[in-house]
Amino acid sequence: MSNSTGSGGLELQGLKKILGGRVIIDDLNLTVNKGEMVSLLGPSGCGKTTTLRMIAGFLIPDAGRVVLAGNDVTNTGPEKRPSAMVFQNYALWPHMSVYKNVAYPLKLRKMNKSEITKRVHNVLELVNLMHHKDSRPSQISGGEQQRVALARALVQEPDVLLLDEPLSNLDAKLRVKVREDIRDLQRRLGITTVIVTHDQDEALSISDRIAVMNGGRIEQFSSPQELYDRPATEYVANFIGSLNHLTGDYSNGRVTVGTKTIGIRPEDVHFTSTNESNGFEATVDHVVPRGHFSEVYLKREDAELRAFMSTNIPAVGEKGYAVIKKALIYENGKLLKVE
Amino acid sequence: MDKTNSINNQESFAVNKTAKLSWFGFFMALPPVLVIICFVGAPILIAAGLSLGFTGGPNRIIALIGQEISTKTHWWGTLDGYKSVINDPRFGGDLRVTLGVTVVATTIVIFMALGMAIYRRVIGGRLATILVSLSLIPLFVPVVISAFAIRTFYDGTGFVKSLLTHFGIDFPTLTMTNSAIAIGTIWTSLPFAILMISSGLQAIPDALIESAQDAGASFIRIIYTIMVPLAFVPIVIATTFTAIGIMGSFTIPYFLGPNQPAMLGVEITNFFNSYNRPQQSVVMAFVIFGAASLIAIFYVWANLRSAKQSGRI
Repeated sequence: MSNSTGSGGLELQGLKKILGGRVIIDDLNLTVNKGEMVSLLGPSGCGKTTTLRMIAGFLIPDAGRVVLAGNDVTNTGPEKRPSAMVFQNYALWPHMSVYKNVAYPLKLRKMNKSEITKRVHNVLELVNLMHHKDSRPSQISGGEQQRVALARALVQEPDVLLLDEPLSNLDAKLRVKVREDIRDLQRRLGITTVIVTHDQDEALSISDRIAVMNGGRIEQFSSPQELYDRPATEYVANFIGSLNHLTGDYSNGRVTVGTKTIGIRPEDVHFTSTNESNGFEATVDHVVPRGHFSEVYLKREDAELRAFMSTNIPAVGEKGYAVIKKALIYENGKLLKVE
Repeated sequence: MDKTNSINNQESFAVNKTAKLSWFGFFMALPPVLVIICFVGAPILIAAGLSLGFTGGPNRIIALIGQEISTKTHWWGTLDGYKSVINDPRFGGDLRVTLGVTVVATTIVIFMALGMAIYRRVIGGRLATILVSLSLIPLFVPVVISAFAIRTFYDGTGFVKSLLTHFGIDFPTLTMTNSAIAIGTIWTSLPFAILMISSGLQAIPDALIESAQDAGASFIRIIYTIMVPLAFVPIVIATTFTAIGIMGSFTIPYFLGPNQPAMLGVEITNFFNSYNRPQQSVVMAFVIFGAASLIAIFYVWANLRSAKQSGRI
């Protein structure tokens, strides 16, 4: 069955997957536009890798459809899908050189030798690995192995590129560099990409849109900025960035007795020595330096707040006023308003 | 100054301790090394001497008792013992049977073990586990018992022939043929080969197989381009050990094989015990040893290749 979608990218319709008697994915719907980069973000066990494996064809959904580039591929094996995957541990074949690893998918397509050589060289140049084409995977670094895995996926010119936590095995500095490389390549090639990650920084920095997953469902599917500024649920607000929690009602920067949950981003808490705008009295309990900013813990009898401050860091014990600039107000876990 | 002395003392203590430990390790390893030198190395050298016509010293008594003993004519010995064995047409037949049975049985064992191991690795499940467990049963059955069981099963009055006779089928009598030796050696060699190859295939991470699938490879293609090369060393170990085991086997060919030509394991025993020609039996043993060494070289090459691939050397 072939069913065209408007996006030309990827469409997941009502996906459901039960593994070991447990519902892992439940009624999952997602549309990724052509050329878009989307992250599946969530904690371990939320079903993001299961979703990716259903897109790749390694798992067949118990219900729902997977539509890739306009074609229903729900029951098609991974070897016949127009997608390519980069595995978490790169999954490079250790008995083949870098060149042979990258050339393998093309050999399966029965291309002639000169065409294979041309395409492999092009893609190795793209990922800056021409000098390692004769090396074995064991002879190159983790970051280089990651790029080989990416090259092996890109050489197939897939309609959809799937990345399963591709940066999780790299050290912090290399991770930033490789994720920028991936984003740059994705933009240049305009390839529809789905990346699975549990790292919010990674998702926020490289995605066009992020699907935050929880218990096999998508809690929110938005742009990184919207996700941060207007998290639709308390779960998303907690998962993305840091959050102060207060219980009560909120109005005009003041928290009064009530039942709602008030979420305040630490950067929306200001500490001043004079009460300029509806602040409340607080004392600096302790300060944790975080490099280019400091985490200031403010305390009063009935509440504690964290503030991120980069200038005029107060001393421990200093008394002043905490001013709330913006608050996310939730009732029964759902966003009521942003004030 | 005192501090420097203290550090120097600490260093010299550490050096002394390491030296003591290395001596301790050496003495721990010494007993098995001595046992191998005395009870394996020395007899091999003495036997090699006998094969080359060194009939004095420890070979004096056996040379006196044995028949058709060639004595050395040069300082390095003589090749007369080897010549007499190689020129004996009987030896040629024996060698052909030995190598033929070894090649055929080893090939069947490795293909069966590969099939079973691939089935377990790819399909998995309860049935695969049961089949692999059942295939290990021969490990726990003494060879002499299984040889007799196979003999009665395929004999002229055995189960297979009797059963098929009822259906009007004249099934050939397999006992006392090289086919029976092959069946027997396959039975005894299969468990080790399955264990070895299965463990090799089980150790391949799923992602390496899935990435090939994702690249567009079919099941058969994944087997010969990914799984077999990645389990190459266990497969080589299984092949070499199976081949060497079959080549030197005695019990199975003795109970199930023909009288002539016989496999060299049986023939060496016959020459030594029945024909009282110890020098010829030792020469045959060295010929087998030479063939086994070629297989061992293949084994070493495979290990070196694997070490090179994984960047260990």
